[in-house]
Amino acid sequence: MRLVTLLKAGLTLDLYLFKNNRAAFISMLLWPYLVLALILGMGLSFGNPSSFKQKVGMHIDPIVYFVASTFIALSSLDVMWGISGQILFQRWIGTLPYTLIAPYRTSVTLIVTYIPRYLLSTFINILEFTPLILLMNGLYQGSIKIAVLLLAATIGMFPLLGFSALFASFLLAIKEESNVLSWINPIILMFSGAFYPAYLLPYWARLISHILPTTYTIELARTAAWLGSPDLTHITFLVGLLAGITIVYNLTAYLVVGAGEKKAMKEGAF
Amino acid sequence: MLPQSSSKAVVARKLTKSYVTYLRRGLFGRDKKVVKALEGVSFDVNSGEVFGLLGPNGAGKTTTVKILSTLLLPDSGEAYVLGYDVVNEAVKVRRVIGVSLSVERGFFWKLTGRENLLYFGMLYGMDGNRLKRRVDEVLKLVGLTTMGAEDKLYEEYSLGMKARLSVARALLIDPEVMILDEPTLGLDPPSARTLRELLVKIAHEEGKTVLVTTHNMFEAEILCDRVAIINKGRIVAIDRVKALKQKIADRVSLEILTMLPADISVSSLISSIRKETGMPSEVFAENGGFRIKIVISPKESGEITSLVLKLLHNHKCSVKRVEIKEPTLEDVFIQLTGKTGF
Repeated sequence: MRLVTLLKAGLTLDLYLFKNNRAAFISMLLWPYLVLALILGMGLSFGNPSSFKQKVGMHIDPIVYFVASTFIALSSLDVMWGISGQILFQRWIGTLPYTLIAPYRTSVTLIVTYIPRYLLSTFINILEFTPLILLMNGLYQGSIKIAVLLLAATIGMFPLLGFSALFASFLLAIKEESNVLSWINPIILMFSGAFYPAYLLPYWARLISHILPTTYTIELARTAAWLGSPDLTHITFLVGLLAGITIVYNLTAYLVVGAGEKKAMKEGAF
Repeated sequence: MLPQSSSKAVVARKLTKSYVTYLRRGLFGRDKKVVKALEGVSFDVNSGEVFGLLGPNGAGKTTTVKILSTLLLPDSGEAYVLGYDVVNEAVKVRRVIGVSLSVERGFFWKLTGRENLLYFGMLYGMDGNRLKRRVDEVLKLVGLTTMGAEDKLYEEYSLGMKARLSVARALLIDPEVMILDEPTLGLDPPSARTLRELLVKIAHEEGKTVLVTTHNMFEAEILCDRVAIINKGRIVAIDRVKALKQKIADRVSLEILTMLPADISVSSLISSIRKETGMPSEVFAENGGFRIKIVISPKESGEITSLVLKLLHNHKCSVKRVEIKEPTLEDVFIQLTGKTGF
């Protein structure tokens, strides 16, 4: 069995769903702007733009900051929904058992079929924000920021895969039916600094933010937002940090997800 | 891996399975309850046969099917599909089985029948022209092409079409063993008949081994080469349908169609009949009334018929029809399980 066929299965499913359900496609296109409005609203409700600049300590445009945060927040939400939420969605429509009897480990099936959707939606999201970023930063700086954002979104996906697989196995094991993700995701984003820089959060909240992979992805995006020219040292440091977290989360996921799957299979969660 | 015997497609040995459920007590309290779903289930399914797992609701049919499909782990016991252990070699088992667990759900509503099959085909490792060809073949085989339904959205399908698509998916990887859980559940009689004919054709013309669960005795009788009767998590009989019927060849079936007055409940009536006759009995809703069925010896048919008729008269039930019939699989089931419909 080739994993590339699984990747194609995921892509095929998404293309069919978009083709046959235009309302879903249109709402997907509108979604980034709605989230931007929400994040801008929440971010600005903590203080006005000048106090924001003062606290962040940089000459940074809050709009650019929040566009970057929105893009990364969307990508992070997408990974968590795409993998963990997939368990709930497929359980609701009854396809879960048929997905699970694919001749792979359950976590492999869920993750690999999801990756094309992530790349597709990330590409669409960045495409949607491209005019805004270019307009505010000019062609040269805007292109650099778009490149760093794409890098952040792509590298940021890897630790999130393990993180979401852990969450998915937890949902399977506890036979969760309710939409836990809808209230957990905003909290994760808040602790990760999507609404306000994580380093300005209270001490106890920063402890939580350190263990969330989204914190570093958003930090990378934030770097992109205030960069006038690429600060390669900072970017390399963050990419290295994300690579380390990727290893930790995916290794943990590999060990824990197997146990979660076994528990779910023992209790008849499918 | 079990040393494979060419004649055994499925082997189940002493399978046990319990579920833990919790009964809510107040806001935070709960009582733990252990439900034994399987208590030492053992059977073999021969290659190329249609094997029926027959039992009432809650007998353990779906649990058995889920264990064989690698979706559920047994508490103890062993099961093999084509020699592969369903617990330790789950991935290998998944490569040789086709599964249908529910005819009503299990597909993406916004995809057409063909698109659903293409997606699941890729999920199961097929690709390219081979997949397209196979999808065309199975759509044709299950009759969806003839019905012009292959490119309709799944959400527009009738239950009969959904059932056909479910069988089509089970056939997709051209599996040697098909595991189908209640494939005709909820279907109208013509659709159920067509699907049964299709399953027989698949088994006998395509050489597949088909394990099918049902609580429909009539279906088991016409569809299956052999059946296992399962009740309360135990196999109570296993044989060819003819041989099972032979076991009660010395019995006949007394069937009475009756209408009940509004103040009489079916359960109280049936328990009175059971108490008076001392015989296992079954009751079915039929033609606006109820068909009472008692398996008896031909010698005592006269005596028991008068006894039951008298009882019905005392309960002010009108009798529409009385018949004495040759035993059917349904009668074997009643005799073996003492099962009542209510």
